[in-house]
Amino acid sequence: MAESASRFLSRMFQLIAMAMQAEKDHLSELDGAVGDADHGITMALGFAAVNSAVAKLDLDKAFPSEVLSAAASAFLDAVGASTGPLYATAFRKAAQVLKQDESLSPAGQVAIVEAIAQGIKDRGKGQRGDKTMLDAWIPAMEAAVAARERGAEPDEMWRDIVAAGETGANSTRSMVAARGRAARLGERSLGHVDPGAASAVIILRAMRDTFS
Amino acid sequence: MASKTSPTGKSTAGKTGQTDVADAMPLRYGDDPYVWACWLYYEEGRTQHDIAEIMGISRATVNSYLADARSRGIVNISLEPSRLSSLAIAQELKRHFGLLDCLVVPSDDGSRTLIDRLGTAGGQAVAKLLKSGDTLAVAWGRTVLAIAGNTAVTGLQDVTIVQATGGTRASFAYTPELCASAMAEATGAKLINIAAPAIVSNAEVQSAFLREPLIEEQFAALGRANKALFGVSSLRPNSTIHTSGFFESVSIQHYLAKNAVGVVAGRFIDPQGRAVAGPLDERTIGISLDMLQKIGMRIAVAGGFDKVPAILAALRGGFINVLITDAATGRGILNADGVTEVDQRLAQRTRGEGPLPLPSNVRTHIKKFLNNPDQVVDEMLEGVLKAHADYITPIKGSNRALVARKGPRAGKVGLVIGGGTGHEPCFLGYVGKGLADAVAVGNIFSSPPPGPILECARAASGGQGVLFVYGNYAGDVMNFEMAAEMAQEEDIPVRTVLTTDDIASSPVEDRDGRRGVAGNFFMFKIAGAACDRGLALSECEAVTRKANDRTFTIGVALEPCSLPQTRRHNFEIGPDDIEIGMGIHGERGVVRDRMMSADQITDRIIDRIFGEMNAQPGDRVAVLVNSFGATPLMELYILFRRVEQRLSAKNITIAANWIGHYCTSLDMVGASISILHLDQELSDLLLYPCDSAALRIN
Repeated sequence: MAESASRFLSRMFQLIAMAMQAEKDHLSELDGAVGDADHGITMALGFAAVNSAVAKLDLDKAFPSEVLSAAASAFLDAVGASTGPLYATAFRKAAQVLKQDESLSPAGQVAIVEAIAQGIKDRGKGQRGDKTMLDAWIPAMEAAVAARERGAEPDEMWRDIVAAGETGANSTRSMVAARGRAARLGERSLGHVDPGAASAVIILRAMRDTFS
Repeated sequence: MASKTSPTGKSTAGKTGQTDVADAMPLRYGDDPYVWACWLYYEEGRTQHDIAEIMGISRATVNSYLADARSRGIVNISLEPSRLSSLAIAQELKRHFGLLDCLVVPSDDGSRTLIDRLGTAGGQAVAKLLKSGDTLAVAWGRTVLAIAGNTAVTGLQDVTIVQATGGTRASFAYTPELCASAMAEATGAKLINIAAPAIVSNAEVQSAFLREPLIEEQFAALGRANKALFGVSSLRPNSTIHTSGFFESVSIQHYLAKNAVGVVAGRFIDPQGRAVAGPLDERTIGISLDMLQKIGMRIAVAGGFDKVPAILAALRGGFINVLITDAATGRGILNADGVTEVDQRLAQRTRGEGPLPLPSNVRTHIKKFLNNPDQVVDEMLEGVLKAHADYITPIKGSNRALVARKGPRAGKVGLVIGGGTGHEPCFLGYVGKGLADAVAVGNIFSSPPPGPILECARAASGGQGVLFVYGNYAGDVMNFEMAAEMAQEEDIPVRTVLTTDDIASSPVEDRDGRRGVAGNFFMFKIAGAACDRGLALSECEAVTRKANDRTFTIGVALEPCSLPQTRRHNFEIGPDDIEIGMGIHGERGVVRDRMMSADQITDRIIDRIFGEMNAQPGDRVAVLVNSFGATPLMELYILFRRVEQRLSAKNITIAANWIGHYCTSLDMVGASISILHLDQELSDLLLYPCDSAALRIN
């Protein structure tokens, strides 16, 4: 299982990197409304670095947890900024969880989503409603847990996860930013989707396309 | 004078055919009696009767001249912009949410607090809306109490005020009891309190209370209310809900997890205005959301942008049909609900006409000296290291972590600074003797990752610990914190001072939330001198913190910057607009204002700084007038001229000043003014010798 599972993750990071590259300008535009207009550039750069780090691994031998650890380090070194520590912590946490169970069973997929949301929460000390990527990740995590509890099929589970993430990201439009640079904008952050939440949805969609 | 007949007496037979008028008309009005009439009316302030006499025409003709002059565009009547915008916002809120009425107070004039202004507006509304025979349910909160304090209604009969919720302990000033009784007093009404606690220990106690005949009677009175007055609380950490301790025994986290965004009359609601169920439901004694919705007139008074999601939810839930708020909040509510018409309309009004069509040869890209946009940082660093090889050198071959050649030494506290690029000469220009020992270099406007920061800490360490000084941004904080943890694991003690000199970025109550901008220059200088003098780590930290506390910066942008990768402006600033409170990352400022003269802009900045800097006549300061990149020295000197005038008018001495490019934001057009309020210790450290690529003091 280890080989094919690692290949799944490698495929997932490829999909994320491609989507980030395609959505680069759109994300930067969103960021221009509330920040410094570089979110698309940062995310594209970070996941390109993740891809080249994962490409250096021997996927026939590497465990999925090792893939995620490598992704964490590569993303952090390439990006810095605020997304660097957030996703690096998220992937590292997911790697720790995967060490318990290296199979990428549906339960393992839920565990990854949970670990990512928790890692971002811990590092950024944020919560739901702060108008950040957590407004996509927390509902996605809740949908994942709910799907696991009722034993949903992977396809249905990922449909729910992505839908919850999308709804969450859209809800940031009516939020006032509490963290990050946008927090200094006060009410001027209203009416704009948070770019971090938008890129979180891109990651979730790529995960869905990988696993279902 | 104008009333004299023209000496020539010659008829000019103007287009109007009013030869008699044209005869009498002074030359300067040409042959246009409309202009003459308007001049007399609007500029000389004469009555229509006087004008008729002067012009030798009938009063009716004067009247029709004045009316026609408006339709012909000779006269433009405009409302004062801030009033115009609050009226437009009120109208739009009323329309969009189908309100009975809406009152929007103009945005901050700086002289009174928001609560105070809302209190006055609420008082006026109550005076207008409250009628004889009404029963008004009154909830509690800071705003409600402020309304009661600003209400004075006399001459009404048979008005009853009912307290809308049970009571609370008096650990805060605006208890339900006090709010209701203050309102009853202000309106000469009969008062009915709810003689029960707002929150009881469990469901049994609640139902026992509600069965009590006295309470039943009081609830019946509440049920007869035809009007209600209440505030809206957000669930943000500094909201009334938290500070009052009203819900002290219950974790608000429970409600947050269920997506609650606000509280109306003690009840939690979600973004759609639906009730959020929770453990308090069976323990609360007070008006329910259903009861509130049945009241005919539901007046909410609330403002502050942190409340926007909560107010929007209350509007969506139909709990409000008369809204009193302020312009910034009102606009925020509309924007949050996707209504941008009001912005467009106001923009059109101020611009005079709609946007001009773009000429076909319009530029979409900014020209820049580039090879490969993705390599700008690396190529710049190659140039920097060749240009300033005397001062800085890479650590372990990486250009992203640079150390001062004559910096670190055994027994000295190491100073590590860093941040994103695009701010040159910040940060690497301030690495050298008497300044920083090492700098970590990130991507454009992005914090460096922990790796290079850790390398800097290692290189800077002289066995006495390392001081990190950097701007307060979420990204920098996370990366530097991770690096600090790693350094501590290697037994390198690390202390951190976050710079927070941008006083426009957050109100004074939230000083720690402010960002660090050009004032970094002063903090680096002070910290570098303290380290070089051999002070202990804790002393270096303390004096740098003091410098940060006494440094005040505000930036203004005239045009945005553009990133090398996109070569487009990050956002647009209108032809007649400026952004005040601009950061150094091309992010928008705090408020947009109209373009003004250099002195007016400087005065706006200096007024704000004086508002916070507690300087006495005879005190000494250091001044930094910093270009954001594209603004030339010529204009910086014009700004400095006014800064000097304002300081000397207060008899404050400028002990040192720097004018130029010290902390930039790529090619942004704009400038910032920083003032460091000196004391003896800071003076000594500021003028202590240093030598780096961007700053040398002998």
